[in-house]
Amino acid sequence: MRVALADDGALFRDGLVMLLEAAGHEVVGCTADGDTLVELLATEPADVAVLDIRMPPEPDGGLSTAERLRADHPELGLLFLSHYAETHYLIRVLNIGTQAIGYRLKEKVGSVEVLSDTLTRIRDGEIVIEPVLAQRLVDRPSSNRRDMLATLSDRELDVLRLMSEGRSNAGIASLLFVAAKSIEKHISSIFMKLGLPSDAAEQHRRVLAVLTFLRSVQDSG
Amino acid sequence: MTLDTYDATGSARRRADEHWSRRRDLERQLHDGPALRIAALTLRLGLLAQKARHDVGGLPHDIEELQYQLHLIQQELRAVADRIYPPLLHEAGLGPALRELASSASVRVDAGGGRFDPAVEGVVYFVIVGVLAALPPATRTVDVVIRRDADGLALDLGDVDTGQIGAVRDRVRWVDGVAEVGDGLIGTIRVRIPCE
Repeated sequence: MRVALADDGALFRDGLVMLLEAAGHEVVGCTADGDTLVELLATEPADVAVLDIRMPPEPDGGLSTAERLRADHPELGLLFLSHYAETHYLIRVLNIGTQAIGYRLKEKVGSVEVLSDTLTRIRDGEIVIEPVLAQRLVDRPSSNRRDMLATLSDRELDVLRLMSEGRSNAGIASLLFVAAKSIEKHISSIFMKLGLPSDAAEQHRRVLAVLTFLRSVQDSG
Repeated sequence: MTLDTYDATGSARRRADEHWSRRRDLERQLHDGPALRIAALTLRLGLLAQKARHDVGGLPHDIEELQYQLHLIQQELRAVADRIYPPLLHEAGLGPALRELASSASVRVDAGGGRFDPAVEGVVYFVIVGVLAALPPATRTVDVVIRRDADGLALDLGDVDTGQIGAVRDRVRWVDGVAEVGDGLIGTIRVRIPCE
């Protein structure tokens, strides 16, 4: 896979280049700020761009850079690697796009397998969210959505949490050791309980289910 | 500056500004120093695990365990940074920083007042954290309303333990703020802080 990256921390940048290369990916560009990355990607095609959130142009250059990249190259996958696991940033990330996008903690992608899995899923159009963050959203919904969430069973919450990490039905089924068919049943039940429109496409409704949780946090503000 | 033009209030306020700017700098130092080094270290360990992937003595598993320990250190650093000066408070202001609290506590945040200077934002943030910490867990939803009016910042904390008024007054006095409270054990604490 062709990967470009921008991070103002030289140590982290160098480590990431080494790990990407060890995983067999081609690093087509490596910059210390967002503006240089945008210039570079104007001429150099890539599958996924990896961005720090808090980098130049300040204050959160990763987000403004990603907006420009999404406009210039709609097919380019975007992976945010940050030191911060904040709901605020997650919502901003999802405002940029809900496909081929990811937000993970810097210290949680430190293996060839995890890094490649994350990049592949993003290139294939999925959303990948740091499990810690997804978990927090599902475990601690804000009070005004609590009633609605209370109608979900424990198993449905498990399924929704895995959905919010961007997992496929097959992926959820294998993690929970059940058949894919029963995951489909759980998901339709979640959609119904969360009041999501039945005429929308499956992928679209998955995103809406995840966003329902994110909004439950935002609504309380 | 001569003695008779010395402005004691202004001086106290300058000290408050310096204090809160220093806390903000400390948070940044944690991020740019140890946190960055630890994140880079997890990548180097990943590289090591890749080199040792055919090891039969369980080295890759041991390396993974070390990486998990580093993740726990990062989580602890994040918790410390939040107690010094939450990075989101600096980046995005009171509304977003308090909403992040709202995902772990029962709080409704309405903050439409825009940005204030670091000392005011720092004092207000930690006043609210203190009041929330004094409540028994999961009892009721606290309403936080922050506005900017002609005089400065206006904060209303609804449905809180009014016994906290003393602690709130102590904290806001630092930035020339005042606090008042209604009758009853549970009620609204109102804070007003003058701002430019």
